[in-house]
Amino acid sequence: MNRARAQLLTLRTATLGRGSCLEHEVKGMLAKLGLPVPRGCFITTGRPLPEPLGLEFPLVAKVTAPGLAGKSDVGGVRIAIRDGADLYRSVAELSAIPGAVGVLVEEMAPPGLEVIVGGSRDPQFGPIVMFGLGGILVELYRDVAFGLAPLTEEDALRLVRQPKGAQLLDRFRGRPALDMPALVRIMVAVSEIMATGMVEEIDLNPVTLYPAGAIVLDAKLRFRDTPEVAHNPTKEEENMATWKCTTCGYTKEGRCKPQKCPQCQSKGNFEKAE
Amino acid sequence: MNSLDPLFAPRSIALIGASPRTDSPGGILLHNLSGFRGDIYPVTPAHREIRGLTCYPEPAALPENVDLAVILRPAAEVPAVVAGLRNRCRYAIVVSAGFAETGRGALQEELARAGHEAGIRLLGPNCLGVFNPARQLDTFFLPADRMRRPRRGNVAVVSQSGAVLVSLLEGLAKIGSGVSRAVNYGNAVDLDAPELYDYLAEDSGTDVVLAYLESVGDGRRFIAAARRLAGRKPLLLLKAGKERSGQSAAFSHTGRLAGRYEVFSSILQQNGLREVGEFEELLDGARALSLQRQVSGARVCIITNAGGAGVLAVDACMRGGLETPPLPRDVLEGLRQSFPPFYAVGNPLDLTGQVRDADYGKALAALRDHYDAFLVIALTGVAGVTLGLADILVKFRAGISKPLVAHVAQGRLAGKLEKLLVKSGIPAFPTPERAARGIRLLLGGGG
Repeated sequence: MNRARAQLLTLRTATLGRGSCLEHEVKGMLAKLGLPVPRGCFITTGRPLPEPLGLEFPLVAKVTAPGLAGKSDVGGVRIAIRDGADLYRSVAELSAIPGAVGVLVEEMAPPGLEVIVGGSRDPQFGPIVMFGLGGILVELYRDVAFGLAPLTEEDALRLVRQPKGAQLLDRFRGRPALDMPALVRIMVAVSEIMATGMVEEIDLNPVTLYPAGAIVLDAKLRFRDTPEVAHNPTKEEENMATWKCTTCGYTKEGRCKPQKCPQCQSKGNFEKAE
Repeated sequence: MNSLDPLFAPRSIALIGASPRTDSPGGILLHNLSGFRGDIYPVTPAHREIRGLTCYPEPAALPENVDLAVILRPAAEVPAVVAGLRNRCRYAIVVSAGFAETGRGALQEELARAGHEAGIRLLGPNCLGVFNPARQLDTFFLPADRMRRPRRGNVAVVSQSGAVLVSLLEGLAKIGSGVSRAVNYGNAVDLDAPELYDYLAEDSGTDVVLAYLESVGDGRRFIAAARRLAGRKPLLLLKAGKERSGQSAAFSHTGRLAGRYEVFSSILQQNGLREVGEFEELLDGARALSLQRQVSGARVCIITNAGGAGVLAVDACMRGGLETPPLPRDVLEGLRQSFPPFYAVGNPLDLTGQVRDADYGKALAALRDHYDAFLVIALTGVAGVTLGLADILVKFRAGISKPLVAHVAQGRLAGKLEKLLVKSGIPAFPTPERAARGIRLLLGGGG
């Protein structure tokens, strides 16, 4: 989690004063945390395309505009770009979209199973992680499951088994089973990002899964306005003990031994229970 | 010693707001406590004696070491009453309403502070309190003729809502299930579900816990306590507020999909906690789990005297994630030999309308080692089914530790047979689906 915290601090500093972060910034952070993202290059509006680009065709180009909810809805995505001329034209068109600050050009990933890995904050449970099937269609199927952040690898495995469509992760109609360790790594990383207490919402959607490997195709993140201390319940629970007053039997959970009993007012009579 | 014993099994009770009037909560409560095994101290400045009990003019006049106080005074007075109970008692039930539930959050905070400063643990406010039939403890302000109380038994009920608790207790009374402890914690200013669950986990008189919830303050603390409890005995949770409630304005898909209920339900499931879908399921669960022990397994054998009911039971088992595998070949051949040719030997095993009680016994004996649980359907519209069936089923059960559940219906005999079975430790249900639900709960798993 400390690694996630350090990377989030860097990202937050870089994006200070902006409500949310740009896609390539989030992906840059994810890459530093060891998550697989497409190779790509961000082209600020008004700047020329770098020569050479250093990416392999086919490419995709996506408009970057702060506050834009759906890139596809405004025609802000070009896929299967085959050559330099096509790329040049795509970047020019996307840069002309109102509000565009740049264009993210990435190598196009092969098709696979699209899933969503996300995180948000629940009023009762604090930071949570979501896994769902359907990728960009997730809100149509609503086939999702939630878990408490941070997740262990075991928790993550249990969580991804919960949606109705979880069978799609196994060998399915002639396709080999998908790379569970790769998915679990992504889930655990997102859970650690949420557990820092710094993030309000995060969406990795879609994440494309393959029999070998996985790749985060799109990523969004919004910091909390007032970050709190990190949530690390596993650690907390380990340190928590039940203390029992030997005078009246009153019990209290806490990390430190209570001095005075709130019930019988006696002092220094607490012992660790069990 | 269990720390909440003074609340659930007090030796003495002070009643703040006692009254001789049989139509006021203070009077009804005194009446309901007439069988209480312990001392009762009515507190009221208006009387010197009620029902032969000496009254105390104010809380501070009470003797020391009272286990439990029940407070019936108007909300605005309650913090002062609690302060006055300092050094008098350790637990207090605040029955009074008119706190956070009516928007008076500040008064509720004042109450919390008063309890904390006086060293008194509080249940409520806005609650009915506790019911413990073993000690004739009943703090409900509901007259006996308005609410039927269940007998003493091994089912505990924990409810955030008072009305739901009363309906559940009446339901349990109706189906003949007994109660060990019942509690309604209302606004939960101090004592909350997790502490109550921990108490019930330790309580040796409780074998099953039914819980009704609307909200859980600290979700993680709740889950931890629910897990501890469910690790000791079956816990069935009914959660209200299932409407889809994600933040529609959220920036991410996750935020839009993460409704309070969806998150709660999903996390319960991952922690192996059992959520039930509706009120009736709590009662069915109580009936099954209070009579028989949970075991692991999924293979159900259905023995019926009506094809239709048998198929409905199979359907319900399948929906619940259970299996109804066919009979082993040798057993099948053996039963075919010994039964009339028109009996449909299979799973379900259809003994038809020509059935005799003894056929059930014969079938069960042949199948006992091949399945994890047995669902017996006995429709009493036919002459061959009699009350004698209860004996046969009880004798079969005595030799095994596997769940056996009955679906009994049709005619006046059904009610009698159902009662007889329940009395002998065999849960009986009026529909095949509910019997299948009983089996599913007894087989511990299933979705």
